[in-house]
Amino acid sequence: MSRAFPWNVLGIDATKDAGLIRKAYAGVLRGLNVDEDIAGYANLRRARDEALWLAAQADQDDEGDYGLGGLDEDDAYDDNSADFGLADGWQDAPDIYSPEAPHDAPAPEFSSEPTPELAKAQTKAQTAWAALLDLLYPGGEVSDDSVTYAEMEDGLAHLAVLLDHADRADLAEHDALDGALADVFARTWPRSAPFVEPANAALHWLDEAGQIEERPALMFLNARLKGMRFHDKVQEPGHPLHKAWAELSRPGRAGFVDRLRVKRLDIDKLLSGLRQHYPELESHLAPERVTSWEGDVNPSGVSNTGPKVVRGIFIVLLVVAVPRLISNLIDSPDNDPAATLLDTAPSAEEIDAEVTSIFGEDVDMNAVRTADPVFADQLRNAFNAAPFSDTTPLVHARRKALEAGEVADFDTLIARAQLRRLWLTAAQRQAPGVCQNVLVGDFFSIPLELTDDELDSEGKLLRQMLDAKVLSHQAKGGAFEYAVPGWMVGEAMTLTGLSSDALTAALRNTADPNRCKVERALLDIIVAKPGRVSLDLLRGL
Amino acid sequence: MLVGIDLGTTNSAVAIWRDGAPQLVPNALGKQLTPSAVSLAKGGQAWVGEAALDRMATHPADTATSFKRMMGTAATVTLAGTTLTPEDLSAMVLRSLADDVEAATGERPTAAVITVPAYFNERQRRATRRAGEIAGLEVKRLINEPTAAALAFGLTDRGDREPFLVFDLGGGTFDVSIVEMFEGIVEVRASAGDNRLGGDDFDDVLVKLVEPMLDGRDALDLLPADRRRALLTLAAERTRRALSTAEAAEFSVVADGTPMTARVSTEAFEEAAAGLVKRLRDPVIRALRDCHIDVRTLSDIVLVGGATRMPVVRKALTRMFGRFPNATVHPDHAVALGAAIQAGLLSGGDGLEEIRITDVAPFTLGVNTATRDSHGRFHDGIFAPIIERNTPVPVSRVERFHTLADNQREIAFGIYQGEARDVKNNVQLGEIKAPVPARPAGEVMVEVRFTYDTSGLLEVDLEVPASGLKRNLVIVDEDDKRNQKDIEGRRKLLEKLKVHPRDEAENVALLARAERAYEGFTGQLRDVIGQGLTEFLGALEKQDPRLIADAREGLGRLLDEIEANPPI
Repeated sequence: MSRAFPWNVLGIDATKDAGLIRKAYAGVLRGLNVDEDIAGYANLRRARDEALWLAAQADQDDEGDYGLGGLDEDDAYDDNSADFGLADGWQDAPDIYSPEAPHDAPAPEFSSEPTPELAKAQTKAQTAWAALLDLLYPGGEVSDDSVTYAEMEDGLAHLAVLLDHADRADLAEHDALDGALADVFARTWPRSAPFVEPANAALHWLDEAGQIEERPALMFLNARLKGMRFHDKVQEPGHPLHKAWAELSRPGRAGFVDRLRVKRLDIDKLLSGLRQHYPELESHLAPERVTSWEGDVNPSGVSNTGPKVVRGIFIVLLVVAVPRLISNLIDSPDNDPAATLLDTAPSAEEIDAEVTSIFGEDVDMNAVRTADPVFADQLRNAFNAAPFSDTTPLVHARRKALEAGEVADFDTLIARAQLRRLWLTAAQRQAPGVCQNVLVGDFFSIPLELTDDELDSEGKLLRQMLDAKVLSHQAKGGAFEYAVPGWMVGEAMTLTGLSSDALTAALRNTADPNRCKVERALLDIIVAKPGRVSLDLLRGL
Repeated sequence: MLVGIDLGTTNSAVAIWRDGAPQLVPNALGKQLTPSAVSLAKGGQAWVGEAALDRMATHPADTATSFKRMMGTAATVTLAGTTLTPEDLSAMVLRSLADDVEAATGERPTAAVITVPAYFNERQRRATRRAGEIAGLEVKRLINEPTAAALAFGLTDRGDREPFLVFDLGGGTFDVSIVEMFEGIVEVRASAGDNRLGGDDFDDVLVKLVEPMLDGRDALDLLPADRRRALLTLAAERTRRALSTAEAAEFSVVADGTPMTARVSTEAFEEAAAGLVKRLRDPVIRALRDCHIDVRTLSDIVLVGGATRMPVVRKALTRMFGRFPNATVHPDHAVALGAAIQAGLLSGGDGLEEIRITDVAPFTLGVNTATRDSHGRFHDGIFAPIIERNTPVPVSRVERFHTLADNQREIAFGIYQGEARDVKNNVQLGEIKAPVPARPAGEVMVEVRFTYDTSGLLEVDLEVPASGLKRNLVIVDEDDKRNQKDIEGRRKLLEKLKVHPRDEAENVALLARAERAYEGFTGQLRDVIGQGLTEFLGALEKQDPRLIADAREGLGRLLDEIEANPPI
């Protein structure tokens, strides 16, 4: 026997005839005691399935050969695309859900012509489907806006028609509609939010939750559904985390009384649970309140709240920022002897040009003076001192931007964080040394090389800080402590790929080689989620 | 002798392969179905079947029905002071069926093929096998009910058939199987189901619907809970049957002589049962999805199980499949006949040389595993499937696992059955442990082999190549171990119970029936029945067979007449 698998197992020559394959399979099976020869049976099944598959392939190839004529090929293509059915079809053009009419089905020996009622129901369902899609894709586009009350009412009515239809339809159509609804809802989330629960009630989507074969769209929707249910439940006073939820949804910072009233443990449980299971629900909480609870966790208290692995994720790091903003910054340019010794001061035009290059177009010295007269004076002095000291007007502006952290408000602090992120990005591109310099506020030793785009954004951010009148602030200096909340540590670990220990070391020591990377990661996180960060953290970084 | 037994929730039946065909064996009352009911009285008197069912109305606390729904659980029932497990109760039914075969053929059956719902899990299957052993029957094979029905259906003409669907809704369980037949091979392609859904649930729905509508129900509320439930359930069954033919039916119960009725329309019942009807759909969709068959290409829909007679179910089916189901097989007989065919196959019966059946595993089987993610976090309780559901059986698969900690000394696997990613949501079947040599994490490899046999029973082998250690576990949990030793003891206990001799069965059944009727009617009719009963008892005392036969016939006719034309 020189036949190859699967034909050797079946004991026949290669064939395209499924009947022959089955016959051969039946013959071999009869001679086999499957209970004794489990492996042989498995092999036989595999051979049969593969043979049938090969036969089916060969058949298709044959059809392909005939189709080379041209027109036939098109027909074949059309047939194929029709087979893929709804789930694929609607994706390209959201309005072509068209359930196949049952009378199109093969082998319709039982069904005669559809009754008029059936056809009517079909049309009604198609109209409802089109209307629902229009509503979920306003103007044919994906939208993040939630539906209005009127739209919701309409949508629920359309959905009710569809679900009713699914209830009456045969299994194939029921299944198709089930899949199509799940897909479209998953794609249009969160706009589809109000429709998911009613659809689940009819189609039992949650029953599939947690199954190995849970459909991807359902996996997504079921997670959201559970989130919505949790959201509803946690509103009720009986819920164990209700107090924590109510506390965190209140605007403003948490006061002393709040801290006595609500258990810290509940707050932590709620936040960690939310972030793990229903991250979308955090938007219901007041960011400031959340940060005020998170901002001041006592790290020594945390160290004994759980096993080591858990601590690695939820640890809150207390970071000692270097006293980098202290004496090395120039303080009072008035005392600088260079200012008075200079006779060849730069011309007003030169100054204006330089100022424009720092803050961007349409900002000249006059504009600076209007915005912040004190800073204008300092800047003017910086121009005079430039040839003799380790400063230039640009370097001065950058340092002052750093120092401004002590007084700036939230929005300005975010601008400052963006600035620092921009500098660190540029510095990392250049050389490790540059980055270290930038970290301690030294912009002079090795000049930063910014791209045009970066210069542009830098100008805009500096301008924002100038307008906020914070650039003239005189730094008091001194060591500054701030806490990095656990969730940031976790995300920073993901971003940098560092272990929790390496990350901690970098945050504790400014000279650590990873410090640059870590600070950059923290800034990335801050810029991405500014609402979740405490003021102290923004000031310190 | 090998027999085929359909051990059902509501009714059981036994069939044998004889003269090249499966044949049902009638019971002592000449009926082909024996109700799965057991009733006991103080002193060890026992009733099985029809008589026991009639005692349900009069002695609900001492009568058990639907015990198949408790199979595989630790639940027990205490009847007249004797505590019995669901296996014991099933064994009593099996023994009564074996008696029937002995009476019909003169030969005592020693072995049986017993049917179980395809969606019965491992524990439920083991319990069924144990019931057979307690009844003194060697269980040669457990065969899935829809597969048995498919065999009976397929053998009607033995022609090739494109895939067809067997829809089996019994008293307590629901199965769907997709079966193909070619060249004498009956091949199950996929099975799905719900082992907690059946006709009983429709009765419950009916009771819930009707209870608030009954007027003067104070008398009902005064009854003990089990008696009330028994009365209502029996009434619900009657009403359900009446609703099969009429648009509306009376729901009537008599509680301690107080009659009360309510009228139920088909519409109201359908509405109340809508939730149950919806639960019929999911397993069908899943089975079709698993074998990639379009519902419209199914060649037939075969209905099995008494509950498929309900118009509400038929209506839903017609809607689901877009056509009328096939009604060529007898919904109550097909499973027992299929079991007899399987019995014939196993004993090399005539005319079955060409026939082979192949079935699939209805559940996914696997072990729990733990892993570390990229952050070094430890995740436990992840289900690692070894045998996927709807794999042809018998099947044997090996999966390799590695140690997770340095110097790990022992490796333990929980064995689970189910479809959830998280093992917590699956059924734990057992646990297997083995010592492993202390090495760095990941260096020790363990092979776990799952072998699933044609009866749907699992065996687990564990091998540690590094130390040459081998462990074998036939899934036996703690209850199991105890019961296994106990089988002999249970058998002795059941033998002490005095089941009426077969030749008295008719009299016993009639007495129970008359007593039930006496409870169920009021006024003059009750007196008439009472009179008939007294006469019959008098005849029994005289022990004159002819007199007894006359009295029996008279009382039987009287009851037939009264029950056929109820006054309310």
